[in-house]
Amino acid sequence: MAIRIADYYPRLRQRIIAFSVAMQVVTIVVLTTLLLFSGFDVLTLIVYIIIPVLVLQAFTHVIILKYILGPLDILSRAIAHISPETNDVIPPNVNGTYFEKTGIKAMVDTVYSLASKDGQTSSTPSVPQTPQELTNAILNTIPVGIIALNEKRKVIYANEFAPVTKDSKGEILINLVFQGDDSLDTWLAGSEKNSVNNDHNWSRVQTALPDEPNRKLCDVIATYHKKGSGGVETMIVTVDRTAHYATDEEDMDFIALAAHELRGPITVIRGYLDVLNNELQPHLQDDQVELFKRLSVSATRLSGYVSNILNVSRYDRRHLRLHLHEENLSDVYASVADDLALRASTQNRLLSVIIPDNLPTVAADRNSLTEVIANLVDNAIKYSNEGGTVEIIAQQDGNSVTFSVTDHGIGIPSSVVGHLFSKFYRSHRSKQNVSGTGLGLYISKAIIESHGGTIGVSSSEGHGSTFRFSLPIYSTVADKLKGSDNRNEGIMETSNGWIKNHSMYRG
Amino acid sequence: MSAIKTILIIEDDRFIGEMYVRSLQQADFDVTWITNGADGVKAATDKQYDLLLLDVMLPEQQGTEVLRKLRPDNDDKIPKSRVIVLTNFDQDDESRAAMQARADGYLIKADITPRKLIELIKSMQTVE
Repeated sequence: MAIRIADYYPRLRQRIIAFSVAMQVVTIVVLTTLLLFSGFDVLTLIVYIIIPVLVLQAFTHVIILKYILGPLDILSRAIAHISPETNDVIPPNVNGTYFEKTGIKAMVDTVYSLASKDGQTSSTPSVPQTPQELTNAILNTIPVGIIALNEKRKVIYANEFAPVTKDSKGEILINLVFQGDDSLDTWLAGSEKNSVNNDHNWSRVQTALPDEPNRKLCDVIATYHKKGSGGVETMIVTVDRTAHYATDEEDMDFIALAAHELRGPITVIRGYLDVLNNELQPHLQDDQVELFKRLSVSATRLSGYVSNILNVSRYDRRHLRLHLHEENLSDVYASVADDLALRASTQNRLLSVIIPDNLPTVAADRNSLTEVIANLVDNAIKYSNEGGTVEIIAQQDGNSVTFSVTDHGIGIPSSVVGHLFSKFYRSHRSKQNVSGTGLGLYISKAIIESHGGTIGVSSSEGHGSTFRFSLPIYSTVADKLKGSDNRNEGIMETSNGWIKNHSMYRG
Repeated sequence: MSAIKTILIIEDDRFIGEMYVRSLQQADFDVTWITNGADGVKAATDKQYDLLLLDVMLPEQQGTEVLRKLRPDNDDKIPKSRVIVLTNFDQDDESRAAMQARADGYLIKADITPRKLIELIKSMQTVE
């Protein structure tokens, strides 16, 4: 309820008048007593002194009341007018030289400017007159972007906060950069085909590419209603979350920098081990060769941890980008086979690998997939028993190729299986006995799911575990990939970067 | 086309530079090592090398800048040379696309040991 001085005014006025009358009575009593003692007669006193004094004082008090309570009443009405609550207060009219000279207009303007968002002074705040004006005022005041699309996916309304631009033909374009297949257009196409009502949301959607000016990060919510009222079929709401995600971006920069710094010494350690091993090989005793292998395996593992940390950071911030190509799983495995065999032999485990050459090809990012395979094999080595065998099998399974890694080690209690793919989860026994970051399975799941595949585990406590992932056969997704992939046909992905295929390049 | 013989390494880190020089020389490559970008551009254009191994984080002039100077748009100053960028920075999509226009390869140093690098170079051919 807005406070109005008018509500209190009669009571205030009564008190002031009562006080004023009381003071007059006191003055007259004192004056009369003094004059009577001085020899004045009563009639002279009443006619010449008491009545004039009473009239003059009453007039004075009325004027004083007007000067004090008038401005207060105007101010209270101005404050009530800008208050967000509904009220029937008429805004004060402060036009005129009197109000300017007395400073009342300035006070009212100050009250209005404090209330207006941008601090601009306005003596006559605009009040929406029609429901449409009011709706527009509301839509342009709430700090979220609102975009309405018609059945042809054309923008028919966008408020001031919406991330849109007009092209040269005056058509409104939405500035939202979606990642991969999970885009507004893909969702709309699916909704138009299969749904009457549908909704979807995206987080951390960019309004421009990195390094472009005014880039914001938004959460986006879209709702679709087939043949919606007023020709509005799709409503899109964007919430600017740049400040919220900014710290994540800084963390990402820090992690990228930290990874670069860590990789420097790792390069040197791995490289010199390679050089030394090569140069000293003829002179080394068998046990010294073994020590070299252990050093080499540990350095490789360290390098893998850095890649895991970088990829987790990218995945969590939606920067993980895969470059899917047609790959043969046996080729992918071959690129890390030596490393994995060395890791197994230094820990006294055997690797049994069955990956038929004639398996259908899969759509894979070789670099990321080798990271997943290394994580799974590494885990199997860690959690299997001394001298145990780790079985690696790839086989076709309907429209997918399944890759499984089985160990016959300690197994996993069913109570913890559900947590295995969580970030920083370290298995029940690993905290004391086995090294690791707790990121390997988390990033493996992220990578496999980004391939459109699935990953899972079956385990029996005390008997061992099987981790398996499935990837779609290339031919089942080839059309989709060709449509979205602008890759250079001459580029070969390697397990540690890319290199141009020279038979195709400059041929 | 023939096997790669002459290699120019542009790398500021002494440990890493010496590591590549030592291992590549033992594999019978003719190796020159330069530690900064400006001298690297000069060396690459003064003499023809079959292969350039280029670091990215170089003092004063970054590897990407060196690459732009050696292979500006529509004007290849080292048409007879292959270029492999060796770095420990992962690429985002934009820099990847830019790099693919000018370089023949991009490898993470921490992931590729000298032995693997030599295998890769031996599998490559000169431009002509």
